[in-house]
Amino acid sequence: MSGDVLSRRRFLQLTAATGGTVVLSTALGAPVARATGRLRVYVLVVDGTRPDEVTPLLMPRLHRLRAEGTWFSGARSLPVMETIPNHVMMMTGVRPHRSGVPANSVYDRAEGTVRDLDRPSDLRFPTLLERLGARGRTTGTVLSKEYLYGIFGERATHRWEPFPIIPVSGHAPDLATTDALLAMVDSADPDLVFVNLGDTDRVGHSDLTGTSLRTARTLALRNTDLQVGRFVDHLQATGRWSSSVLLVLADHSMDWSLPTGVISVDAILRSRPELRSSVQIAQNGGADLLYWTGPAAGRDAGLAEVRRLAAAHPGVLSVHAPRELGLGPEGGDLVAYCRAGWRFSDPEVYANPIPGNHGHPATEPIPFLVAGGHPAVRRGVVSGAPARTVDVAPTIGALFGLGSPHGGYDGAVRKEAFAGRR
Amino acid sequence: MNAPSHLTRRRALQLAAATGAGMAAVAATGPAAASPGGPTSSVFRHGVASGDPLPDAVLLWTRVTPDPTATPGSGAGPRVDVGWEVATDPGFRRVVRRGTSSTGPARDHTVKVDAVGLSPATTYWYRFRCRGTTSPVGRTRTAPAVDAPVARLRMAVVSCANLQAGWFTAYRHLAARGDLDLVVHLGDYLYEYAPGEYQARDVVVRPHDPAREMVALADYRRRHAQYKTDPDLQALHAAAPWVVTWDDHESANDAWSGGAENHTEGADGAWTARRAAAQQAYAEWMPVRYEPGGSLYRRLRFGRLATLSMLDLRTYRDQQASSPLDPELSAPDRTIAGPEQLQFLLDGLADPQVQWKLVGNPVMISPVRFPNGLESRAVEGIAELVDLPVPPVAGAPYNVDQWDGYPAERAAVLGHLRDRGITDAVFLTGDIHSGWACELPADPLTYPVTGVSVGVELVCTSVTSDNLDDILGTPPRTASLTVETAVKADNPHVKYLDFDSHGFSVLELTEEGAQMDWFVLTDRTDPHAAAVWSTSWRVPAGTARVERAAGRLA
Repeated sequence: MSGDVLSRRRFLQLTAATGGTVVLSTALGAPVARATGRLRVYVLVVDGTRPDEVTPLLMPRLHRLRAEGTWFSGARSLPVMETIPNHVMMMTGVRPHRSGVPANSVYDRAEGTVRDLDRPSDLRFPTLLERLGARGRTTGTVLSKEYLYGIFGERATHRWEPFPIIPVSGHAPDLATTDALLAMVDSADPDLVFVNLGDTDRVGHSDLTGTSLRTARTLALRNTDLQVGRFVDHLQATGRWSSSVLLVLADHSMDWSLPTGVISVDAILRSRPELRSSVQIAQNGGADLLYWTGPAAGRDAGLAEVRRLAAAHPGVLSVHAPRELGLGPEGGDLVAYCRAGWRFSDPEVYANPIPGNHGHPATEPIPFLVAGGHPAVRRGVVSGAPARTVDVAPTIGALFGLGSPHGGYDGAVRKEAFAGRR
Repeated sequence: MNAPSHLTRRRALQLAAATGAGMAAVAATGPAAASPGGPTSSVFRHGVASGDPLPDAVLLWTRVTPDPTATPGSGAGPRVDVGWEVATDPGFRRVVRRGTSSTGPARDHTVKVDAVGLSPATTYWYRFRCRGTTSPVGRTRTAPAVDAPVARLRMAVVSCANLQAGWFTAYRHLAARGDLDLVVHLGDYLYEYAPGEYQARDVVVRPHDPAREMVALADYRRRHAQYKTDPDLQALHAAAPWVVTWDDHESANDAWSGGAENHTEGADGAWTARRAAAQQAYAEWMPVRYEPGGSLYRRLRFGRLATLSMLDLRTYRDQQASSPLDPELSAPDRTIAGPEQLQFLLDGLADPQVQWKLVGNPVMISPVRFPNGLESRAVEGIAELVDLPVPPVAGAPYNVDQWDGYPAERAAVLGHLRDRGITDAVFLTGDIHSGWACELPADPLTYPVTGVSVGVELVCTSVTSDNLDDILGTPPRTASLTVETAVKADNPHVKYLDFDSHGFSVLELTEEGAQMDWFVLTDRTDPHAAAVWSTSWRVPAGTARVERAAGRLA
């Protein structure tokens, strides 16, 4: 183990159980982990997993957790059903109009460009990570995707930088992520760890058999399940299980489309150059965020026309004002959703070649379970309560006795999962 | 006509063997002697009923015969006041609401009272008084508060009760259960036919009154009155609140917005007048929040656990296609629900705050393609069951009177479920005199590989009306088995099918899942028939899948 000081953090290099090297950074002056019997909470995001994939055959360990804990059968992701905004909702407990993070990809009016929301300054609402830190708790982030690592920045006490990164997908494989998780738990033992396992999402995006056989996806699900099982086994082997609460959920699900099911709003507007030149498009798979950049005088009429033209496409499900979806001005002026089996591809029809997409309402249903050996966790419960990604922060906050943030939460405490709290 | 008792016993044994149920599951009781309140009085001859429960209100119903002239459909008799009271105990020591309602010949001496100011999720008892006589006592129950968690909701699901085809023993067995929050009737509560036109195979068990096809208002009123004198029907009405919708036979067979198969314009008068008469009698005689000129389709809510959207699939629909091969079938603007009701349905399905989205759906929505290779008698039998003028064609939809005859609109409904990621949508269906449990394929082409389903459909069989063995003239569970196997093989989303049995279903909803139990009668023509548990299918929450349940509901 070696230490190094860079900016305000200390770096630790550890050897993982599988032989790899894990580098963690820790905020200077962080409190040392305390007694073994204290509450530990782990949020494991199985990115892009569908609820119908949590079966004994595909994901036996998740299925066992589901049977041993509380399964929210009607759980849903929230708009826009993308990775970054839903991870932000989990950690803030508020909707995008308050956090400033409506989608993965937005048009940045100040910079005049479409970009990912991957900067710490993009997230404007306090997260559980720093709020718990201010109360003397320790937290950790083990996020497999570069843009998640980016936006959550140095908010956690302990932080892993995803490595090795797979080119194109921009994420670390679940094996490496779980190595890092185990190393962090063993070395720092934070009170709360926020984990993203990206394989099922990344493989799902690229699975050309997604509409039928889902061959590659199936393998990814089994592997991710293996890693979750590895973590559970580790908690049990190290005596932490009896004080642990696990929230395992997805940030969104996944829907596959054929190459014929492609919508290009850019192409739709090409016949109307005056509109096309006045609109910027941030493509988010199953959702397109449209921004009016033309003359202010023509805004209302222009947007009405853009809405009409987009809605007329057979693959477009609906077009919304962002505020209808709980989004703020960062979400643009219109949000178009596609139907199941379709995807947006902008600006060109070949810009989004991947068959697996999310962002549209078909990808709202998610797996969401609460398990663990902590005595407060209810066993063998199926709840039809309307659990949402935004409920994660208030639920964890309640477990730690943390009050509501300024202005309150938009989510609810999922009391159904805990004894004596219903 | 009653079947000999040894036949009844043999039928019970046959059924027990066929379903794997022991005789312990057989429950036999005699016909209900009377409603719970005591012997049927001369004033209250048609029983009492309640319906459409809300968290703070329930609809109460009765019909009075204040003097001998006030016979149903007569238009005669005096106007009278009818008192009513609602109590929290069956002995009426704690009366919480009371009032008086006026009725007379203008509404055929029926009484409908909306008892408001009640508490949610509470059992109440109610009764009426008229001319010094007290009615039998009915039991009812309000719906849970809108945002309340609900641990369990249990309901009877019934349809297709043809009085001429048998006894309403199904209703009696349900009334005896004592565990029902409500009774959902999916239509064909009564039949329009004259004696001899439609019965149990070729036996008229009980002839209809009036002894003619009902066409005029007086006919519909008298037929409703006849059905409401059945002690088993009275017992079930008095046992729990009903939520009802009509299918076609409440007016005429295969009704559509401009007519019906069993309506001859001119000879039977004008369709608009006949339908208006049928609807007026229905409004008068049923415990339903519906008045003529209004909409029958409506939605009830049971806390956070469920909504129940009751559909009217007869008033607004386009005429049925002439055959399954009619090119008109694929017209994109064909409607079965009508645009406003369709939107009402879609809005209800998309409610994110409610777990189970039940749809009281009079005719089947699952696509059913007619299978290959059946022998001709079976093919003809199916044609008769679904009123096809010509035998069905393999590979084509077999019944164009159900949603299969309106594929564009069905695609809009199933597409809505898929596009919006809607979970826990359950269609409860009647009409087809057979028991089914089906998944609703997101995409019929890829379903055999992916198994992706967007909802389920659970179909109760008929209380008495003829089904396949009756039409084929074969013993139950013989010739039909081949047909059922072929239908399921060609339609892999159909998981359970029983083309022969009569009886009823019981549906239970919890947060964990939905389960329907099917019960079958030993003999619909025997007033002492037993009800035998046949099978149970379960829908685990969030799955849109049906699977065989380990056992019946406890």
